[in-house]
Amino acid sequence: MNIAPWVKVTSVILILYSFIAGLLIPLGPGIVSITPVQATAGEEVTLDIFTYNTHFEKSIPSVYFKSDNDQMLPAYSVNIVNNTQLKAHFSFPRLTPGSQGMQGLTLIINNQLDGFTLLPNALFISSKQSGETDAWKELSEIELNTSNELKFPYRSILQETIRNIYYHVSLWFAMILLYLVSAIKSVQFLRTGSIQFDEQSKSLAEVGTLFGLLGLVTGMLWAAFTWGTFWSFDVKQNMSAVAILIYLAYFILRSSIEDLDKQARIAAAYNIFAFVALIPLIFVVPRLTDSLHPGNGGNPALGSDDLDNTMRLVFYPAVVGWILMGLWIANIVYRYHRLKRKFLEN
Amino acid sequence: MLINKPLKIANKKQSLLLILTVLSMTVLNGQPINQGDFFTNIGKIYVVVGVIVLVFIGLVIFLIRLEKRISRLEGEITKS
Repeated sequence: MNIAPWVKVTSVILILYSFIAGLLIPLGPGIVSITPVQATAGEEVTLDIFTYNTHFEKSIPSVYFKSDNDQMLPAYSVNIVNNTQLKAHFSFPRLTPGSQGMQGLTLIINNQLDGFTLLPNALFISSKQSGETDAWKELSEIELNTSNELKFPYRSILQETIRNIYYHVSLWFAMILLYLVSAIKSVQFLRTGSIQFDEQSKSLAEVGTLFGLLGLVTGMLWAAFTWGTFWSFDVKQNMSAVAILIYLAYFILRSSIEDLDKQARIAAAYNIFAFVALIPLIFVVPRLTDSLHPGNGGNPALGSDDLDNTMRLVFYPAVVGWILMGLWIANIVYRYHRLKRKFLEN
Repeated sequence: MLINKPLKIANKKQSLLLILTVLSMTVLNGQPINQGDFFTNIGKIYVVVGVIVLVFIGLVIFLIRLEKRISRLEGEITKS
């Protein structure tokens, strides 16, 4: 049983596409930091604003603060330092609309070329009284631009590493599918008793474990520069490590039984249980408690906050590409096992 | 007394275990990693490069191991 040529071609094209598109599509504009972060109503404030992937020298920006009841305060003057740096001068009236006391204002920067970008809770303003003034305008009075170009969203902690979704998450998706096919092959082996299904199951589990280990290692590198440490004992990190260990035990179990027939039957039964254990470990347990991973702690996975439509254009082809690549590699491993059996039989 | 004894590493597997233990002790102790300039500049783009390089290295190691297994089988076939 060989893999059809179109599968190999498709997998290479899709993975190549995910590398090229995933690395070349630029990141959207974003606000990196502002200083100061606190102000009192009634005073004048000059803000230093640092941004990412903006083009202020080509297109003049306007800067606003938004209160929590959607009122907008424009900056009375903006100095452009360079493409990614601004000095904005605000004069806050004594009355601030929205909630009383301390309030986190959202900073909005808008220009025609990049579209608008915002930073929630950019500046905390303390005001003795709240109320409407002429300086604060309705949101509908202000025109905001959006950019039509293909761009990946800017996220403050992730920045460019948001692209790792195509190279880290797709490996996990491919791993789950390889383990699923492996479990199905084990069932087929137990039903029919023909050894080739066991060999296919073993090969698929090998490649699945390769992808899982790669997923762990790439995730650790990603976590180091976004969450701060290689391993933060996040539920999903721990549970996926446990899942990988269960599959490593599968290979140790195999090599500990000398009788080939017995080995195949015990390993097939173990493999089915390993897959059954994998589902709660990866999909259920991380959702029951708080996790650093998106899509956990009660949130739906891969919602529009984590994966926008531009990212889907790259992510899903990458997943399909890695699945097909995994099936291809598993087929090569299977052909090795088949040759070895045929040689030992003679 | 214990320190003066030279540490004997019997074989490859033991040394690998030792390296992994030391690595896991340093990596897993939860200390914030040093935010160096290389990985954190230009919007952390080198983290993406690092991830792609890791995936490539992983695939290459797997292929080398597969080739070794095939070579061993070839050797057995030609011997018999």
